[in-house]
Amino acid sequence: MDQEDLVGRLMADMDADLLHFLQTKANSFVKWDLLRFFHENPHTTDTAANIARYAGRAVETTEAGLIDLAREGVLSTTRLGEMTVYSLSNNPEIRNLLQRFVKASDDRDFRVKAVFHVIRSMR
Amino acid sequence: MGKETELERVKTGIPGLDDILCGGLLRQTAVLVEGAPGTGKTTFGMQFIHHGIVACNEPGIILTFEQFPSQYYRDAANFGWDFRRLEEEGKLRIIMTSPEVSRALVEETGGQIERLTRQMGARRILVDSLSHFERLADSPVQFRQMIYGFINGLKREGLTAVLTRESYALLGEIEGQDESIPFVVDNYILLRYVEMDSTLHKALLVLKMRGSDHDKSIRRFTITSKGMEVLSRFEGQEGILSGSPRRMAESFIEAFVRRQGEGR
Repeated sequence: MDQEDLVGRLMADMDADLLHFLQTKANSFVKWDLLRFFHENPHTTDTAANIARYAGRAVETTEAGLIDLAREGVLSTTRLGEMTVYSLSNNPEIRNLLQRFVKASDDRDFRVKAVFHVIRSMR
Repeated sequence: MGKETELERVKTGIPGLDDILCGGLLRQTAVLVEGAPGTGKTTFGMQFIHHGIVACNEPGIILTFEQFPSQYYRDAANFGWDFRRLEEEGKLRIIMTSPEVSRALVEETGGQIERLTRQMGARRILVDSLSHFERLADSPVQFRQMIYGFINGLKREGLTAVLTRESYALLGEIEGQDESIPFVVDNYILLRYVEMDSTLHKALLVLKMRGSDHDKSIRRFTITSKGMEVLSRFEGQEGILSGSPRRMAESFIEAFVRRQGEGR
């Protein structure tokens, strides 16, 4: 079985919405962590530097992830003076999808497939 | 005290405390709750917020600078308070942010705090903790001005605020801490550890209550599975705030013997 077949088999039984979410939003481990962080702390409003501190990651990688997630509409950005602050989007569809994704990733089988996909997309 | 009880009071919901405060805090004031780690500052604030929501129909906001909202959910659940459900019902909002952002959120016209206060009808706020503002200021004067402006912003929104502050000393007097904050708040409550007979007790003292009389005695307090409860005063002890009080009879004998010695 070549790798394309394996990928196809791994993704075939995944919910289409969740697969799309994984491919476009949770497509790096940093972004996955950030998504989980915002799911668990849904009313966080802060700068990239402070969110990096909460997440225990470097500012540069965190900021890049936050910018991507904002571009994808998962996060909202607000300018406060010279600061750019990030918060979870109020869009109920996004919030619902995030909740489904986090819940699904509690399942080991889903997680294995998702991790495989993230690693593959990072190559 | 009769006239003062006519003022609108905000019940803290902490058994024993509202009596000390002559019925509760005055509306739209700020209370500083200061204490060493583990004394119960956050519990105090959570109980104030929870009581406001469930007993007074006053929605609340928690601004946290260090502790994750998930920790509040868990800690509150230990007291039987379902903060997650209250958030879902739109009666509570736990916002994790930083002092610099929260300051901007309060100062900004139409900012998040103003918007939330109006949307939720919030009447109470817990800011946990004010200590984190210290790193934003270059001098004590700037720090005092910053806190003064922040508190006024909360009052402008009609909020009654509990502001926690860490004290560095576990027992006894605190040195090297900025002492200007008690001047800019309306109410000042100290939580202290007290060592007596090889056991740690907890003491509470209302040091200041602007615009109202209050009980000045030093009270014991405890934290049970239902939250904080203020108990009776410490009887027959002195030097409670030093952290290691002595029985009054012992100190009398000591002073008496010393004086006799000095007289020789």
